[in-house]
Amino acid sequence: MIWLTWRQFRTQTFAVVAILAAAAVYLLITGTQLRHSYTTDLASCQPQNSCLGLLNALQDQYSGPQFLAEFFVMAAPALIGIFWGAPLIAGELERGTHHMVWNQSVTRTRWLAVKLAALALVSVVTAGLLSLLITWWASPLDTIAGNRWGTRAFNARDIAPLGYAVFAFALGVTLGLLLRRTVPAMAATLAVFIAVQVLMTAAVRPNLLPATTTTVPINQTTMSQAERFDRSEAVTGPVTIDLPAPPGAWALSQTPALNSAGQPIQTSEILNCWSQMLAQGPPAFKGASSGFGSLGTCLAPLDLHVDITYQPAGRYWPLQWLETAVYAVLAALLAAACFWRVRRLRG
Amino acid sequence: MTTILEAHALGMQYGRRRALTDCTLDIPSGHVVGLVGPNGAGKSTLLKLASGLLSPTSGSISVLGDAPGSGPAQLARVGFLAQDAPVYPNLSVADHLRLGAHLNPRWNQEFAARRIAQLDLDPAQKAGKLSGGQRAQLALTVAAGKMPELLLLDEPVASLDPLARREFLKYLMESVVENGSSVILSSHLISDLERVCDYLIVLVTSRVRLAGEVDQLIAAHHRIVCTRREPDTLPAGLEVVSAEHTDRQSTFVVRTDAPLPAGDWAAEPMSMEDLVLTYMETGGPGHRPATPVSEAVLNDAASNEAVLNEAVSNKAASNKAASNKEAGR
Amino acid sequence: MIEFHLDTRSGVAPYLQIVQQVRQALLLGLLSEGDQLPTVKQVVMKVAINPNTVLKAYRELEREGLVSPKPGVGTFVTKTLGQASLTEHEPLRRDLEAWLTRARTAGLTEAEIEALIHSTFRVSVEEER
Repeated sequence: MIWLTWRQFRTQTFAVVAILAAAAVYLLITGTQLRHSYTTDLASCQPQNSCLGLLNALQDQYSGPQFLAEFFVMAAPALIGIFWGAPLIAGELERGTHHMVWNQSVTRTRWLAVKLAALALVSVVTAGLLSLLITWWASPLDTIAGNRWGTRAFNARDIAPLGYAVFAFALGVTLGLLLRRTVPAMAATLAVFIAVQVLMTAAVRPNLLPATTTTVPINQTTMSQAERFDRSEAVTGPVTIDLPAPPGAWALSQTPALNSAGQPIQTSEILNCWSQMLAQGPPAFKGASSGFGSLGTCLAPLDLHVDITYQPAGRYWPLQWLETAVYAVLAALLAAACFWRVRRLRG
Repeated sequence: MTTILEAHALGMQYGRRRALTDCTLDIPSGHVVGLVGPNGAGKSTLLKLASGLLSPTSGSISVLGDAPGSGPAQLARVGFLAQDAPVYPNLSVADHLRLGAHLNPRWNQEFAARRIAQLDLDPAQKAGKLSGGQRAQLALTVAAGKMPELLLLDEPVASLDPLARREFLKYLMESVVENGSSVILSSHLISDLERVCDYLIVLVTSRVRLAGEVDQLIAAHHRIVCTRREPDTLPAGLEVVSAEHTDRQSTFVVRTDAPLPAGDWAAEPMSMEDLVLTYMETGGPGHRPATPVSEAVLNDAASNEAVLNEAVSNKAASNKAASNKEAGR
Repeated sequence: MIEFHLDTRSGVAPYLQIVQQVRQALLLGLLSEGDQLPTVKQVVMKVAINPNTVLKAYRELEREGLVSPKPGVGTFVTKTLGQASLTEHEPLRRDLEAWLTRARTAGLTEAEIEALIHSTFRVSVEEER
């Protein structure tokens, strides 16, 4: 059964080895260049404390390759589901070869078990190698960004791709078994996989572990770190302030500016301070502090605050593990469904 | 003598469609069994049930004493060849033999390799590039190479040219000699079955109309041509299978296990093709199905009585219909 | 080695056709004493035919004393029906020729003659069973 699995998967194995090799070469070469640039830039900017601009420039320079590489690593599980998962059973059913192979002296359960186990393993290893390569490649850029919470970052680093790969594979196999035709199964796999990824990233991941909420008072210190200050057009509208979350944390949501009773304040209440600030000239960004400090001083007596909900930096790895576990459990459930269904399948 | 296939009231329903109804069979081993009937009669379904690819929705079936498809040991004893002989297009001929070798404990590589050489097939040739006849032969080699006790073939030669069909049958018979296998072969080409089958099953619209050894069936059936008369004027003990009348002449196909009594008629023996066509024509709703004379039925007094009652009422109905027809002339 | 052929339309049971063909081969001198008949496998590979049919035919020939099996080796001819048999039956052949002439004189067509011969022969075979 191992021989048959290998023989039927031979072409795909060579293809994936070739692709991995090409990706490795590209990432190793460009990654070395990136590291070299990074250390050089750091060496030159740190004495003068002018790193922000230089490192941002480095980020911009590599943003194109970063996008491509991350996209490729995110696409890999989908491709695994489409090209390795969907045809696994659907291909046999379409060509009628299940009549031959299910009449050999192996039960359908064993046939499926060996195929699923072997190819799931290959999927996980492939995703793992890709993830390893890109996590290594992007680490200077991640250090500059300060975190890996961005969608393309979280989904294309560390162990998350392994969960996606095994889930996409199981999804492809199951849809192939249900739809019995390869091409519709491929399309369905892609659609369902994308839907699940979007759902997980947008709705589930922020809530996998309870988020932390912290209250940040509005004063000169905090306002000098503010990234934006938005007053509404209407005087009754709310005031939104973009205060940074704790370093390395994943900012999930922020309330608008609230008064001491927890109610959102109206633009009219801050107009006075706002005009005062404008009179002194537009806010200038000097190094790490923004120019909203004076606004903060003016607003401090109003006893305002903003509530920030976030996942702290330390939650990165627990969330990686949890998300991978969720996908792994989904994959296991799909596999169980396949075993149950394939035994009942009417030829 | 052992039984290769035993079925009791076997039925298979797909949603609304009934593929097999109330099939009772008791097929002894050591035969090449021909399964014949019009398209859609249920031949494929019966073979898939026998190989374990399907599970029955009613009744029971056992093959070589075990439930079909129940475990690797049972699977090793039964070879199955599906319609149009599917093969893996991207695997070579030799790969197919390796598949058989890896997945079957009793695989006989020497036999399979010899077969491939006899057929002049290139072992490195991808199976997708073979002709229809070569694919059928390859699939047969894979099915027979595990030395099964029973080979099930579902219209394997339906789409082949006459030469390829003849070659396939030759190699199939060679497997029977080599392995001592029994064979159940379905086809709607009666001429092929006449050459090789010594046991016959006729399936029409999901029911078994006729089942038995060919020699016995041919000896028991006669075509009688005589002057116009009613079926019930024929001597008792003659089971009337079909009746055709012109204004002057009646032609009956009768079945009797005793020798045909003398009478004022011309009696002709029937060929297998005649037999099959007769049962295929007379089979249908409202007609009495010609149930096989199997030991199971003979031993079951209750079913005998039911069969007898049905025969009486059917005969009465057909007599009434015939006399109505005559009155209407 | 003789070869067999099967005519499914002849109305004669397949095993009998083989028996007849062996007898014919003996008559024509194609087979002599000690010759081996083709094995079941060889027959089946030349003529797509049920192996049981061949076995039945060979058993019938053995019953008639024409052949005898050697286990593990094959089936061998034990008795010849040489040309002598044909001359033995010369009187019968002449009788048959005379009958044919009478039948033609009576106005029977060839088809009618053949039908008459066949049906009479079949009836007599059935009666003999």
